[in-house]
Amino acid sequence: MNEHWFVLFVLLPPVLAFLISLAGRRMAKQIISAVGISATGTSLVFSLLLLNESLNSPLSLDSWQFTWLELGSKPVNFGYTLEPLNVLMLVIVSTVSFLVHVYSQGYMKEDNRFHVFYSYLALFTFSMLGLVMSPNLLQIYVFWELVGVCSFLLVGFWYFKPEAKKAAKKAFMVTRIGDIGLFIAILLIFKETGSFDLAVLAERVEANAIAPGMITLIAILVFVGAVGKSGQFPLHTWLPDAMEGPTPVSALIHAATMVAAGVYLVANMFFLFEASPVALDVVAYVGGFTAIFAASIGLVQNDIKRVLAYSTVSQLGFMMLALGSVGYVAGVFHLMTHAFFKALLFLGAGAVIVSLHHEQDIRKMGGLWRKNKAVGILFLIGCLAIAGIPPFSGFFSKDEILLTVYADGRIGLFVVAVIAAFFTAFYMFRLFFKVFSGDLPENQQVEQVPTSMTWPMIVLAVLATIAGFFHLDHWLTATNQYGVAIHEGGWIPYVAIAVSLLGIVLAYAIYGTRRYSSQELRKTIPGLYPLLLNKYFIDELYAKVFVRPLKGLGCLLGFWDKYVIQGLVALSGRIFTCIGRVGSKLQNGQAQTYALISVFGFVILIVSLLAGRLFQ
Amino acid sequence: MMWSQWLPTWITLSPLLGVALLLMVPRESKKAHRIIGILTTFIPLILAFQMYFLFDKKMTDMQMTISIPWIEVPIGTISYAMGVDGLSMPLVFLTCLISTLAAFASLYIRERTKLYYILFLLLEVGMLGVFLANDLFLFFLFFEVTLVAAFFLVGIWGYTEKEKAATQFLIYNGLGSAVMLLGIVLLFVLTKTLDYSALPTAISLLGAVESYDTVLWVAFVAFLVAFAIKLPIFPFHSWMLRMHVEAPTPIVMIHSGILLKMGAYGLLRFGVGMFGDYMKELAWLLMILGLVNILYGAILAFAQKEFKRVLAFSSISHMGILLLGIAALNQIGLQGALFQAISHGLISALMFFLVGSMYERTKTTMLSELGGLAKSVPVLSGLMLVAGFALLGLPGLSGFISEFLAFVGIFQVNPWLAAVGTIGLILAAAYTLRVVLKTTFGPMKDHYVGLADLRVKEVLPMFVLVGFIVLIGVYPKLLEESIQVTLHQMLLKIGG
Repeated sequence: MNEHWFVLFVLLPPVLAFLISLAGRRMAKQIISAVGISATGTSLVFSLLLLNESLNSPLSLDSWQFTWLELGSKPVNFGYTLEPLNVLMLVIVSTVSFLVHVYSQGYMKEDNRFHVFYSYLALFTFSMLGLVMSPNLLQIYVFWELVGVCSFLLVGFWYFKPEAKKAAKKAFMVTRIGDIGLFIAILLIFKETGSFDLAVLAERVEANAIAPGMITLIAILVFVGAVGKSGQFPLHTWLPDAMEGPTPVSALIHAATMVAAGVYLVANMFFLFEASPVALDVVAYVGGFTAIFAASIGLVQNDIKRVLAYSTVSQLGFMMLALGSVGYVAGVFHLMTHAFFKALLFLGAGAVIVSLHHEQDIRKMGGLWRKNKAVGILFLIGCLAIAGIPPFSGFFSKDEILLTVYADGRIGLFVVAVIAAFFTAFYMFRLFFKVFSGDLPENQQVEQVPTSMTWPMIVLAVLATIAGFFHLDHWLTATNQYGVAIHEGGWIPYVAIAVSLLGIVLAYAIYGTRRYSSQELRKTIPGLYPLLLNKYFIDELYAKVFVRPLKGLGCLLGFWDKYVIQGLVALSGRIFTCIGRVGSKLQNGQAQTYALISVFGFVILIVSLLAGRLFQ
Repeated sequence: MMWSQWLPTWITLSPLLGVALLLMVPRESKKAHRIIGILTTFIPLILAFQMYFLFDKKMTDMQMTISIPWIEVPIGTISYAMGVDGLSMPLVFLTCLISTLAAFASLYIRERTKLYYILFLLLEVGMLGVFLANDLFLFFLFFEVTLVAAFFLVGIWGYTEKEKAATQFLIYNGLGSAVMLLGIVLLFVLTKTLDYSALPTAISLLGAVESYDTVLWVAFVAFLVAFAIKLPIFPFHSWMLRMHVEAPTPIVMIHSGILLKMGAYGLLRFGVGMFGDYMKELAWLLMILGLVNILYGAILAFAQKEFKRVLAFSSISHMGILLLGIAALNQIGLQGALFQAISHGLISALMFFLVGSMYERTKTTMLSELGGLAKSVPVLSGLMLVAGFALLGLPGLSGFISEFLAFVGIFQVNPWLAAVGTIGLILAAAYTLRVVLKTTFGPMKDHYVGLADLRVKEVLPMFVLVGFIVLIGVYPKLLEESIQVTLHQMLLKIGG
């Protein structure tokens, strides 16, 4: 029974690190970061040990539960489960978290709330690890909210910046809307099965004990939660704004782990979605639409982190599309490769930002290749991986997705995915060439990037390069019946490579050689550029449709409460004071009113006692 | 006689020791008043701990009971009856805890301290008596004691419009208690008893006779109205708005933390426990009112311009969730309602303590004037963020588990209504984050440079509250185990 101890050593160190750093206002920064790094390092080691056991014999790892609370007479359990998906997520989360802990030493070294930053990171790591090993929905929901709060705290880490405050609030509110969907789904599941346990739910679904309509409803509500967390349309608006947080946070939370929690949730409850074709449709179409929608916005953004953020939204859309096309393995595989290359890209962006004294506007960048070749090469690896050029990992996972979508027969979505892949290659290399090619703008001093920031990037670059060769399919499907689809369409990889190369070449022609102006491109379809630049005006739309009516309703009700309800109170008050004056003209002040009412009360008492006697 | 039989009495009356001591201390020695006041509140608190350990979680009826005939009237006997069960035990504990912390928070009271602490301790006697009395007449007496004490505490030590607030409080609650008295008298005349243990059976026996049905309905509605005012249920809420704004910090902690919960206690004890079948018939109304409370309170909380008014409306919204739990009339729902009473008591006490200590520094609670406090008072701001998370129902803190239980409960009965109610959870996040971020985040205002952060004597009580909020959030079994049996027993009586 090694697992108990392993799990304990995965979960406990981050908790301790959280408590130590939180109280570490007077500790040296080196100690704080050492605590955080060794804690997440321990989690990583034990996650890898679990992975090793699971790879050897996926069925051997036990789950464990204890009763946390009783609902009436029904027990609510907490515990853990270690199926391949859980173990894989543990490894991804602890790897990226460990690397980000190392990286942050350099990135945050100037900040005087260093200990707070590390404590939030540790709390996040704990919550995320807890989330991905939860065997039941209530526990998932608990950790789901906790990671949301950590995200909120870290987006708003620079709380004195008005933009950070706004972004943090938005991140919390928009995901909360999704969370309510999940909340209602959980209530429905309890009503249907009397339990929150996923295994119990799976059993009932298997036995056809739940009406198909109800399965669809529950699945869609669960998906609403996933949409909020994973930044899918229409709840995507918070994720780009969340880039106000420090860059290591963007890498860890808003690229590699937390935003993938929505995808994880759908994968984890795949049995439910599989049982409902309608729900699968919803997942596939929302995912496919988000993939191309966000990619199109990414084409024109000028903030280095926002380009990456829209890219994340788009890639998460790819994963949803895969899951919606019954591609369990493809979706999870892309989740893993994306975690590595997107974390790499964000850490690379962080290195760029640091070396340019916190400049984030790519219009003011250029020529970094010559100044900092190491960062350039690492960033290039990330770009190649996400663009889907072999042998980098993104090629394999994206290829898997395209095959799945094609095999599932939704040709429209297949075309959308191919176009989105083209967009991806284009915007990533637009970014790359704008930052690294050409000349350095005048007066721009380049600062050296500390080695503590370079090493994690190298590790991620290696992972982003080789992760495509991990063959996960048989392991991932060892404990379930999701099956490995047999794909047709050997031509698809060539199409994928071709569109990616086309995107890269086009980006090179415009931004690399600077021979063709992007101005010309903008004019081809009038109105399109401003539409994309302003993100289809979705934020403005939401402000008009939701925020303003709520405020209006608030004012209206405020008026009603003040004049109608309280007016009635004032009236009744006046009546009572009048009676009070009549009752005791000698006294002044307020106490008389009380006396009056008390006397009034006791008179009723006495009279009725007497009445009782008279009745007898 | 066993010691434990007298325990409820001791807990209730022990603050009177402090009152007696205070009477002997001269008016000027303010420090002595404060020390006596604080130390006295520890006696019931320690006794409450003992009660918790002596409490038999498996027992269905009242325990540690005592019943002594007290007043003979022609109709029947009014007895001095005290006792505790799973419903009152957590509330007694809450009362003792919050009273002690509020006594600590009384450091902002600087005038007429002798009178203040005397009234404060009397208020505690009243509250404890309300929860521990086992006789309706006795209950009523203690209920009135809280009214009088709170009236003077607000009227004398409140903020600018204190008289108005106190009067309004009195008119509404006085009206409530007059109505309740009517109910009590009706019951007494009909059933010849006011003892809790005898009343449920007596009522259901009477209810079977058709001619008494109407009168019982009148009595039931009287109770309902009295506690609806106390909770408060829309549209009886106006009095508590002013009360929340004008009452001094420790009193508003007690008011929002405990006094409002007397409404919940009344609805559970008398509504569900004695008039269960009548409650069942009106459950639909309570559900609708609960929903109205949730949404009305939340939307108005979002529209307020002053911190304490936001909290006041948020209380209305949270009490709506409690009401939904009661209206569900199933084990999970009632569990949720009682959890919500305790949890909201802790959270609102913490929140009002924080706002009070903020006011001591900034001299304002207007949202437009606040901002960026995290820079000058990081500890206060951090705690406010924690309190905000608790208020918006973050898992791991007590607010989540109580709201979750209440919603699971109501969902079994009326899923649609529950689904609409969850909008309240989104709005709760909106208004809570709005006030907390408005005050603590953003650029710091110039005139807040150099504010002193919380002192140790402020921080310690707050940490205790945070500790309990986390404890219940992480390990809810602690609370759940002792209330299960009582709630189960109450439900058994409904519907035969």
